[in-house]
Amino acid sequence: MSCGDPHETDCSQVLAELWLFLDHECDRERRELLQRHLDECGPCLEEYGLEEHLKALLARKCRGDHAPDALKQRLRESIRQIMVRQAILSAEVTVTRAEDGSIVEVSTAVESRTWSTTEG
Amino acid sequence: MGVVAVTPAGTGAPGQPEPSPEGTVIAPNIANQDVDETPEQRTARFERDAMPLLDQLYAAALRMTRNPADAEDLVQETYLKAYGAFASFRTGTNLRAWLYRILTNTYINGYRKRQRQPLAQPTEEITDWQLARAAQHTSSGLRSAEMDALDQLPDSDVKDALSQLAEDFRMAVYLADVEGFAYKEIAEIMGTPIGTVMSRLHRGRKQLRDMLTGVARERGFLRDAEVAS
Repeated sequence: MSCGDPHETDCSQVLAELWLFLDHECDRERRELLQRHLDECGPCLEEYGLEEHLKALLARKCRGDHAPDALKQRLRESIRQIMVRQAILSAEVTVTRAEDGSIVEVSTAVESRTWSTTEG
Repeated sequence: MGVVAVTPAGTGAPGQPEPSPEGTVIAPNIANQDVDETPEQRTARFERDAMPLLDQLYAAALRMTRNPADAEDLVQETYLKAYGAFASFRTGTNLRAWLYRILTNTYINGYRKRQRQPLAQPTEEITDWQLARAAQHTSSGLRSAEMDALDQLPDSDVKDALSQLAEDFRMAVYLADVEGFAYKEIAEIMGTPIGTVMSRLHRGRKQLRDMLTGVARERGFLRDAEVAS
């Protein structure tokens, strides 16, 4: 299938590769070849325009959903809990003894830190 | 008053899913990662790098599961898995693609089964019909009218149309057109060869375009004469 005008590359070939061109998946040489064709072939350019338009339309209309705040909050809390558990496992445990050898205090490096929760 | 420091032996490296062999003392044996990253440093890194992508992952989950409750569960499971494995995530590699991979795997291995959806139509056979069709110019006069009509569609119509695509097509189209992933990345995310990605993408886009044109006509944005090709 051709638009009737003579081209370096046949229209059918260009149209078969339109999506590759559109998705920036051609190498440079191929890209330049297709670009030259689109510059000189109205029908192919128009077809390309529609596919490009559709791609942009999808991107525009199918995004923008936001995760619920409750989910974000829940996740942050879960992650913090896991972290604290891990920190305790790997933390140094400090045992403070009185002069008679009895244990006065057992603390971990973790417990002495202050946790801040980042909101967002 | 003496202070004795005791380091518990046999403590698994934080974030390691597998417990260490009993009695072995292991340093956090995380290759390729900053040595001795503490859990709080890792958490800070996760919150800094991964949490800002939550909205995107949720939107993708919504397109996959097609309902908000499942999408929430899916994203939550994905993020907890990602956090658990974050120690092994190489800084400098593509975090977004990595998260999408976990999302996709979690979905395929869990939610899809649970949802008991009818099996998607076979998608793997490569056919030429979509190329054959693509290789023809559409009738003149249709294209600009079609473009204008599609622009008038409300977001919900476009999302609905996308959700009607077979799952593999839907994800390929979503990842390429909405998320802007390269074919190679989509192949990694979906665990398929690039050729399969291209086939899904082509067929998905073609079906979607036909579907949207149909919706635009139903809505009266496109007259019958304009779609008769």
